[in-house]
This record gives sequence, structure tokens and C-alpha cells, in this order.
Amino acid sequence: MTQKPPLISVRNLNLYFGAFHALRDVSVDFHAGEMVGLVGDNGAGKTTLIRVLCGIHAPSSGEVYFDGRKVDTFHPKNAIDQGIETIQQSVGLCDNLSIARNFYLGREPVRRILGIPLLDFARMREMSTRVIRQFGLRDNVSADDDVERLSGGERQSIKIGRAVEFKNRVVIMDEPTNHLSVREREHVNELARQLRDQGLLVIYITHDIFQVHRLADRIVIMENGQKIEDTTTDRMSAEDLEAVIRHGGRVVEKAEA
Amino acid sequence: MALAAIKPIVRRHAEIGIVLIAVLLVVVFALSSEGRWANAYNIGTILQVTATLGLMTLGVALVIASGEIDISVGSTFGIGALVYLWLALRVDPALAALAALTAGGLIGAVNGWLVTRTGTPSLIVTLGTLMIFRGIAIALTSGFAFSIPYKDRTGISYRLLGGGEILGLNTSVIWLVLMLVVLGAMLRLMPWGNRLLAVGGSSDSALSRGVRVDRVKFSAFVFCGTLAALGGVLEAGKLGSADGSMGRLMELQAIAACVLGGCLLAGGRISLIGALTGAFVLSSIQSYLVVMSVRPQWFMVLLGLIVVAAALGDRSLRQWALRR
Ligand SMILES: Nc1ncnc2c1ncn2[C@@H]1O[C@H](COP(=O)(O)OP(=O)(O)OP(=O)(O)O)[C@@H](O)[C@H]1O
Ligand SMILES: [Mg+2]
Repeated sequence: MTQKPPLISVRNLNLYFGAFHALRDVSVDFHAGEMVGLVGDNGAGKTTLIRVLCGIHAPSSGEVYFDGRKVDTFHPKNAIDQGIETIQQSVGLCDNLSIARNFYLGREPVRRILGIPLLDFARMREMSTRVIRQFGLRDNVSADDDVERLSGGERQSIKIGRAVEFKNRVVIMDEPTNHLSVREREHVNELARQLRDQGLLVIYITHDIFQVHRLADRIVIMENGQKIEDTTTDRMSAEDLEAVIRHGGRVVEKAEA
Repeated sequence: MALAAIKPIVRRHAEIGIVLIAVLLVVVFALSSEGRWANAYNIGTILQVTATLGLMTLGVALVIASGEIDISVGSTFGIGALVYLWLALRVDPALAALAALTAGGLIGAVNGWLVTRTGTPSLIVTLGTLMIFRGIAIALTSGFAFSIPYKDRTGISYRLLGGGEILGLNTSVIWLVLMLVVLGAMLRLMPWGNRLLAVGGSSDSALSRGVRVDRVKFSAFVFCGTLAALGGVLEAGKLGSADGSMGRLMELQAIAACVLGGCLLAGGRISLIGALTGAFVLSSIQSYLVVMSVRPQWFMVLLGLIVVAAALGDRSLRQWALRR
């Protein structure tokens, strides 16, 4: 659908965890201004794939191109500097730090006094307080509270709010609506749509194929570390996609054979 | 009621327990020793011991904050003392101290490098370097002591480095206060501290936010080695001599001080003030047993018992604070 060169291009990616072959020869392109739904069974390798894109895992073989340039060193710092914001599935907040400190972790705003970088607490509080209010967290939650005391949904809201605030070129969401109430789910999906409309690449991982079919422009299905389907949402119905996931890669292979 | 009102304070400040214990011990020791413990000279000695142990403790606390542990600091302390004494005879003590701190920093760098590069648990790595550098210290001195002749124990830099007093306090106390302020500011007010605590709290989360976890841990080890060596320099300046056993078992006191002071061994939560209060408590107990002429063979036993009792007291205080 897009003639422009892809923003992220993954070529023949393989990743081993010890002897375990977690990603098998995955090739996939992602374009700016596109929302891609990434779906598949538990343990299919969705999280592992996006963890390569955001620099946490280095591939065992294969290449990743960002904006036409080959990625040589994989580190979250590089990915963030390149403009990739990720809402991780299971990590991203340090319980022992306040919301404000978590918000800016790794990119703390500073005021320099005699050349010494001191944290700019006023700025840190201001932005995190704004996000707390936007996401309708309880009124008694303050930016100075430790994350430890937040509920699952509140944590998720903080992670999403942070990624949206720092949005740059790519936002990757790994099961973002986990723990969220119906109202907040709608809010998050609306945010994802807005980001796409603003020209960002949005990669949206979920198990809710029907929901993501309405939302995304393209769906990529993974199974056993492989990409088994890659199609635009106007070419395949949600029911057909669900059947592909339900029957796993084998049925598709049979059908193809 | 009033007690309930202080619960939140106790919950927020892990160091409250050890501060209360310190106050209690000071009162008990002062009342039960007929002036032998609570006199200016003895308190001065306790503060000097607290200062050198405390510098080591501050370093260990930083490593604990990052979720690791450094038990090699006793040997680093000894190496720092020996390098300082050997060089102070030949060059200005300030230069000798600089060299000793560099040696300590290098030992920290070796620890940090091995831990972050190989992924070996820091307990094992630093247990190894604890033995290696103790062995080197003993080999260097080959049974003798390095010492500075009395007539040479003068000069402004010698006296500023633990070998003199200002207003009746050994100069090492000034170094301790200085380092407490500097490290406290780095920990609470600078990005480095935010990242250090984040790494200790959840290194995976810190990594996912782009924190260079390995560099942060490495820096904590380097600080730790440097601070232990500074403690060694100041102790050497005070004593004027040192042998290969200088600083032995101090690593255990430093770790005990951190834990008593409310540092979480799992990482991510530390209190520098608490750790120093822990160091003060340990030095006070030691001094009390000395002035009460407790037979040396009971010394370790009593010290250990009091540490356990203090830890239990602190624990029940914290549990009380957590109850609604
Ligand atoms: N760090 C790791 N070390 C070893 N194995 C891992 C690691 N991370 C993931 N795996 C394995 O890789 C496989 C793929 O995991 P991944 O988290 O990518 O699945 P997923 O598609 O995100 O599943 P879910 O929908 O349950 O989140 C799983 O079998 C998992 O056990
Ligand atoms: Mg996953």
C-alpha cells in the first residue's frame, strides 16, 4: 500500500536463547503512518520480535534497518534516541522510584548549577502530573508516589502516557490494554489511532484480533517464532485471521501445500 | 494517637530504626561505664573509627543500591593504606593519597568489569578479589609493617589526611561529612542517582528505558573501591603504620552497617545516613567492649549478638510501622 521505503525493515532475523530458537527467519517491513497489529499465540515470539526492534535483544543473525540504515549496535538507548518508544509488556517501571522519576528515567531533565547537572524536579512533576490527570488516575495519586503503590491498570496508564508524551517516530505497544478498564481501553485505542494519523508507525500487539482488525491497517501473525501471515486488514476478515491463529502454522502449511 | 502519627515517618525513612538504636546505646553505654565510654577522648576515637569504616560503608551502600554487593572492600582498604604509607615516605602525602585512591578505584574497576562483562555474581567476584588483594597486601609487607617515622608525621597534607585534628576532631571526620554530602547529592539530585536506584530496583526496567545498566554498576564499583581506599589512607594517616592485615573483616562490618542502616540487600533502596549510623553503632559497641575490658575472646561473640539484637529490633519496628 505504501510506495515509500519502509521505516523499519527486518531481514531474515534469527534469535536463539541458548539452544531455543525463538525467532525463525523473520522478515517484515513497517512503514511510517501505518498501524500494524502483531498477533499470535502465547509464546509465539511477538514480544521477542519487538524487543529486538527496541534494542533489548540483539539478533543471532539477520539484519534490522531503521530508516534505511543498518542497525549495528542493539541497545534500548540507541532505539530511544532514534525515536522508538516502547510500552513493554512486563518491564518499564521501577517500583522503588516515584512516578516522576520513572517518567524521565534515562532522559532526566537537568538544570546546570556550576556545570553540575541537577534533576529538574519541577519539570519532572509537571509532565507526570499532567499524564496522571489525563489518564483519570485517582485524585490522591501524586507524581511523588512510589510506583510500588499503584494498581496494575494505573501502572499501565503511566507506561502508555509516557510513551505518548515522548512520541517521536515509532510507538510500539505490547498488549497495551492489559489491566485496563473498558473506558481506558477506548482511550488507548483512540490514542493509537491519533499517533498513526500524525504519521507515526504504530506496532500494536494484542490477543484481541477483532479489536485490532478494526484498528490496524495491517496484521502480522506469528507462530512458533515465525511469521505465518502478513496481510492488510481490507484483504482478510477478522474471522479468517482468527482461524489462522487458532489452527497455528500447520494448517496454513497444509493449505499452502 | 502520637505513636500512630509517627508510623508513616518510620515507613518512609528506613534509617529511623538504627537512629533510635544508636540513641539507646549511647544512653546505656554512657550510664553504665562510669565515664569511661562517654568522655571527649573516647568519643573522638569512636568518631575517627566511624569515619574510616563509614567511608567504606558509603561505598558498599552505593554498590548495594545497584543490586550488587562488594565484599572485597576490606582488602581494598588495606591496599589503600599500604600504597599511601609506602609513597608518603617518598612524595608529598597528597600525591601518595591520590595514588592510593587510584589503586582503590582500579580494584573497583576490576570488580565492576568482571561482574558486568561476565555476569558472574558479584558475591563470588568480590570474594575472589577480597582474597587476591589480601594476599597481595600480605606479600607486599612480608610480615612487617609499613610505617612512617614519628618525625615525618607532620605537614599540612599529612595532617589533613587523617594524621591530625581540627577542633579536636580527627580530620577523617571532615572527609566523611564531605563525602556524605557529595554522595547524598549525587544520589538524590542527579541523574546518576536516579539511574543507580533504578538499576537496583529493576535492572530490566532500567535497561528498557535506555539506561546503560553495565556502566552504572561499573561506576558504583569504582566509587566503592575509591572510598574504601580513602578510608584506608585516613586510617594509615592516623596510625602512621600498617601491616598486611589492615582492614581485615572490616568488609563484614561495612555490610552489617548498611543492612542495619536500612539498605535493602536486593538493591534499589538505601540510606546513606542510616548506613553511617550503622557504622557509628558498630564502632560504639566495639569501643564499649574495650573500655569495659571485655576479654578479647568474647569480643566477637558479643559484637555479633548485639548486631543480631539490633537487626531484630529494627525489623520489628519496621513491621510495626507497616501495620495499620
Ligand atoms: N529471555 C528469554 N530467555 C529464554 N527464553 C525466552 C526469553 N524470552 C522469551 N523466551 C521464550 O521465547 C518464546 C517467545 O516468547 P515471547 O515473549 O516473545 O512470546 P509472546 O508471543 O510475546 O507471547 P505472549 O502473548 O504470551 O506475550 C517463549 O517460548 C519464551 O519462553
Ligand atoms: Mg508477549
